Amino acid sequence: MALKALDIYKLLPKKNCKECGDPTCLTFAMKLAGGKADVDLCPYLSDEAKSVLGASTRPPIRLVKIGVGIRSFKVGEEFVLYRHEKTFYHPPGIIFRVLDTMTEAEIVAVTERVRDETFTRVGADLRFNGIAIENVSGSAETFAKAVATVEKVEAHLPPVLISKDPAALKAALVHCGMYRPLLHAATAVNFKEMCALAKHHGCPLVIRSDTLEGLVQLAKDCNAEGISDLVMDLAPGSLGDFIRRSTGIRQLAISRAVPDLGYPVYLNAAENDLQDAALVLGIVKYASVIVTDPLAPGATKASLTLRQNIYTDPQKPIQMNPGLYRVGSPDMDAPVLMTVNFSLTFFTLQGYLESTRIPCFMLIVDTEGLSVLTAVAAGKLNETVVRDAIKKFDVETEVTHRKLIIPGYASPLSGRIEDATGWKVLVGPRDAAEIGEFLHEEWKK
Amino acid sequence: MSYNVNFGWTSTIGDVVLGATKADGGTRRCSYRIGGGTTLPFLEPEGSPAPLIALEICDYLPFWSPIVTNYCGDLVNSVSEWAKAADNKYGADLIRLYLTSTRQRNFSNIASLGKTVEDVLSASSLPLIIEGSNEPKIDSEVYQKCGEVGEGERLLLGTAEAAKYRSIAAAALAYNHSIIAQSPIDINLAKQLNILLKEISVPRDHIVIDPYTGALGYGFEYSYSAMERIRFSALKGDTDLAMPMICSSIDTLTIKEVREAAPSVQNDMAIQWEFYTNFAAAAAGAEILCVRHPGTIPLLRQAFADMKKEKNPAEVG
Repeated sequence: MALKALDIYKLLPKKNCKECGDPTCLTFAMKLAGGKADVDLCPYLSDEAKSVLGASTRPPIRLVKIGVGIRSFKVGEEFVLYRHEKTFYHPPGIIFRVLDTMTEAEIVAVTERVRDETFTRVGADLRFNGIAIENVSGSAETFAKAVATVEKVEAHLPPVLISKDPAALKAALVHCGMYRPLLHAATAVNFKEMCALAKHHGCPLVIRSDTLEGLVQLAKDCNAEGISDLVMDLAPGSLGDFIRRSTGIRQLAISRAVPDLGYPVYLNAAENDLQDAALVLGIVKYASVIVTDPLAPGATKASLTLRQNIYTDPQKPIQMNPGLYRVGSPDMDAPVLMTVNFSLTFFTLQGYLESTRIPCFMLIVDTEGLSVLTAVAAGKLNETVVRDAIKKFDVETEVTHRKLIIPGYASPLSGRIEDATGWKVLVGPRDAAEIGEFLHEEWKK
Repeated sequence: MSYNVNFGWTSTIGDVVLGATKADGGTRRCSYRIGGGTTLPFLEPEGSPAPLIALEICDYLPFWSPIVTNYCGDLVNSVSEWAKAADNKYGADLIRLYLTSTRQRNFSNIASLGKTVEDVLSASSLPLIIEGSNEPKIDSEVYQKCGEVGEGERLLLGTAEAAKYRSIAAAALAYNHSIIAQSPIDINLAKQLNILLKEISVPRDHIVIDPYTGALGYGFEYSYSAMERIRFSALKGDTDLAMPMICSSIDTLTIKEVREAAPSVQNDMAIQWEFYTNFAAAAAGAEILCVRHPGTIPLLRQAFADMKKEKNPAEVG
């Protein structure tokens, strides 16, 4: 169980020596309680106090870094079961898999795709994260050659090396050992050799077992070998296995009931015939490293979008900067559509406006990121905000007419906006999908 | 699981029955009892039932995605043929009929709606969801007519909202149907609407919560969390939220990524977008999943089968 700051304070030396960087032992205790400091910073703790505190003050799920350089990513350090309780912090890396039996050209093509492909939506660049090379040939030499092929592309993508055979991994590490590849996987049979490789190259290591006891034992064993950057493969035989084990592990880890399960989760979606379903479950139910075969266009966009959605911080409404935005090249007669600065509202409306092919202006007013409905209810969208925005963004010099289209849900404000701005107000549809029809019918009149 | 994972639940999700067989006074070949969950979705110790898959069809095509009408071909010109195909060809568990004809300007032909509902009920013996009008002037007559024609069939009528629930509730109460109660992605508003419905005597076991599903990439995360919160509150004992949920992401086929996809990948894009949305919603607790593209149904079906140790939707009657 998590300790409170005062309980932790009792175990500290109470010297206020400041050697940990904090002014007093009490402030250090408060940081420890929040998972924001490491016990090792205190030089005067007894081993006993360290072991009591260590287990209960570090983040319940360890932060593990995969790869090096600009495309490296961190996973773990999560605190909650539901995103609405706080947020999910570290989105899962989605890793494309190649097999060492594929041709050089095929391996290069996949690597280049992950290096280059970007899907931009809601102002963010979404990408896949790395390349997994799986040793299915059974030959260490073939495996090492495939890994060398990936590295020759110089894509600097975090690698995942998948092989049961420590000798094959050893041969492959010659080519990519300096890039902190994730090694897959240590089992009860081979963990000593795997730990030796991980230690030698400073790599994070996947432990694999289909029982929670097996994972706990492996975590203990690997810790004893000096490896603590671990990731857990639950070896699920089905989607049902995955959701049950993954949810159970998350709950046991964040509640600190079983600290040895406090590591990020690995899922090879390609091991399931229903790869897309596995990918969905992995994204929503706590996987941190997801391996998949290269995805078709539909799954590519849907998976990246789902990950972006689930890992959006629910505490922050996503906001656009207020301003006058152009759709196409509007002239002085073009319609002006006012709406709120909630980014989803903006992007949804913008999408529909683009497809009407009618050049126009979007006047985005500051409602602190609230949607139209909420902003009207909360009084954040009102005639003053609209009047000020028209002035601030010089709308009156951009168009010669004085007609403002407002969202359907803002219709109660139409009279007041007319009075405050002197503009004529046209009440648009409630649903952005109908904006094309509205513009064709009402604006053209 | 050898480790004891305890979430501290104190309550369960209430049941709702959809459809009535002959034994229950209807003509459906099966009926479904949904709800009954005691923990998080798919974690029931005795196996979790698969969510139900509803194929959405409509009686007036101009408001429907051309992706679907092109994919299905001529059969969409007859709502009976479409309903038959939903059942025999596409393998849905439920049909959700949108009376889109009512959304034409100045629509008033209520009698034609009765005929449409009759046609669909005789074309397929699956339980039916009917989505009525969206116009206060005709709502009362529309729901009255649907309720009457479907009497005994234990329909699910949609969609009640805080500003519009009396006419649907009246039809549901008069003819013993259930209703969909929709609120705009907000657990408190969902609860409020259920209380309003309770006050006019709609029984809890006749309500399905629709927390409103924003399309993936267009607010889905809010819906996902609303579903998780509703399920959580219900399991923690809030009986005003302890009803099964429906996921209906009605904008999916009109969002930019799908609408503007290259023709060669547009079906794939539509199907994947529906699949990712609905499967994620199922993990958050939705028990009725609505799709428009028939190609999405087998993907969901296979995924639920792989959720192992699971039963078919518990059939009653």
